[in-house]
Amino acid sequence: MSLGWGLAGHAARAAVQMAIVLIGLFSLFGALPGDAVDVLALQGDLDAGQMAHLRTEMGLDLGLVPRFAHWSAAAVSGDFGVSQRFGQPVSGMLMEAVSTTLQLAALSGGIGVVLAFGLILGVALQSRGAKIAVGILNIWSIAVPTFCVGVAALLLFSVHLGWLPAVGSLVAPVVILTLDNAGQVAKPLAEEVAEVAVRQHVIAARARGLPPLWIAWWHILPLAAPVGVALSGIMVAGLLAGTLTMEILFGLPGVGALVLQGIQGRDEPVVLAGLALIALAVIGINALVGVIQLVLDPRAAR
Amino acid sequence: MAVLLLAAVTVLLVVAPGLVPFDPLDQDLGALNQRPGSTHLLGTDHLGRDVFSRLVAGAGTTLAVALGGAVLAMLLGSGIGILACASGPWTEAVAFSAIDTLRGLPPTLLALVALAGLGSGIAPLVAALAASFAPLFAHVARAAWRREAMADYVTAAIVSGAGPTRLLVRHVVPNLAGPLITLFAIVVPRCVVTESVLSFLGLGSAPDTPTWGRMAADASRLAETAPHALVAPIVAITLVTTTTALAGNRLRRRADPLRSAL
Repeated sequence: MSLGWGLAGHAARAAVQMAIVLIGLFSLFGALPGDAVDVLALQGDLDAGQMAHLRTEMGLDLGLVPRFAHWSAAAVSGDFGVSQRFGQPVSGMLMEAVSTTLQLAALSGGIGVVLAFGLILGVALQSRGAKIAVGILNIWSIAVPTFCVGVAALLLFSVHLGWLPAVGSLVAPVVILTLDNAGQVAKPLAEEVAEVAVRQHVIAARARGLPPLWIAWWHILPLAAPVGVALSGIMVAGLLAGTLTMEILFGLPGVGALVLQGIQGRDEPVVLAGLALIALAVIGINALVGVIQLVLDPRAAR
Repeated sequence: MAVLLLAAVTVLLVVAPGLVPFDPLDQDLGALNQRPGSTHLLGTDHLGRDVFSRLVAGAGTTLAVALGGAVLAMLLGSGIGILACASGPWTEAVAFSAIDTLRGLPPTLLALVALAGLGSGIAPLVAALAASFAPLFAHVARAAWRREAMADYVTAAIVSGAGPTRLLVRHVVPNLAGPLITLFAIVVPRCVVTESVLSFLGLGSAPDTPTWGRMAADASRLAETAPHALVAPIVAITLVTTTTALAGNRLRRRADPLRSAL
């Protein structure tokens, strides 16, 4: 299969996946037992006539399929409707939230990659310390919920020591997410590296007396690169899930916080747009990862 | 280590509910946020409930939710994966493109969306965990199917006239057990953690069914006044997840010795 076909295949798959996710989301949230009018009615008691009128105004009385068609058509042109709770355009709310989430995710993702790479280099150099560090970091990221670490960090650094503000600081969430992410990615990579390190070409290189750093850099790491690229999809998914908790805990106004508030307030347009955006990010990055893998290793096209 | 812990938890589940000093739901408003002491072994929380009793009562629910989610994910995922593979390449392609879509999304987020749609409670929680982790099992099932379908003895069985059902039951399913159990041990701690995160986000169990996640989540909001109420469930969660994760790693090492040079 040629590269062009491979690219087209990845694009088509991403489009189909996005469609599946959107239909799933829409049927799930279209079928919710309560809607925004119920919430408004609780807050400022409306009578039945006013509620019916509000529902017509918001388009909540239409069937599921016409609403989905209408929503998708508008979403393509960047119009995600108006928040049912706040009356603001969703796209504006989303734009503000995206910058926070992007900062958090990019910072912790970037530092996490550097940390993981350093550890992997250590493993490729046969460092025992690096192997142990990878194991500990992995167990840490599996076993300890990030919100617990977050609470501990808040208590220690914001309340007792007073080094960080309790709300709005990025330092603690970035450090916590970095460790969590590096732990998830470093372990499978280290296993791949350990496997490559016992292959014959590496043994031959060692027998020739090449310096360990040279062997690690030119003979081991390039062979582990495809696995590293494959893992970056998992990493992005983990980052997005992690930012959600961190945003709630540290009072950061990001996409995750927006979606959660939307779920609690039955604000359908906000929830749909937020989740669609997250899904688009994950699916888009996965497609990109697929393409990079194809370029790195054409055999992956099968 | 893992066996010891399992034994300890089982004893906790069987014996302890009769021995705990207080009703886990009883509120003693005269004794809020008390430090650990002789009356209240691990202190009381913000509503004056005995933390130790809640910890014991929560063990059952926490493990039931995590194990239930993992078992359901295994049955669903491997079942769908195997059936899709057995019914031919087209069904396989369609089923796995749907499964891959789910697998790309983070489990916490999937469970969050499922809970938002289903409403909160124990049963939806188990369903949400199952839906989030089932794709992993489907992939393991497919990998095992592919490996087995290529094996010589399967070809021999086909040549001697074995139908797809017989192939499935006699040859593929027995060979699946190993990798599935390994993945199970990896998924259980992730279920425990995901449950606690969902509780923290306000989408966990009902207030009258204490789980460790819910205890940690509730206590995290008042961590400044009553840190001990937070420490107890976190230690319990970490103990269980760490040992199961270590056991999972060991199982995997046994199943896949080449990858375990680490």
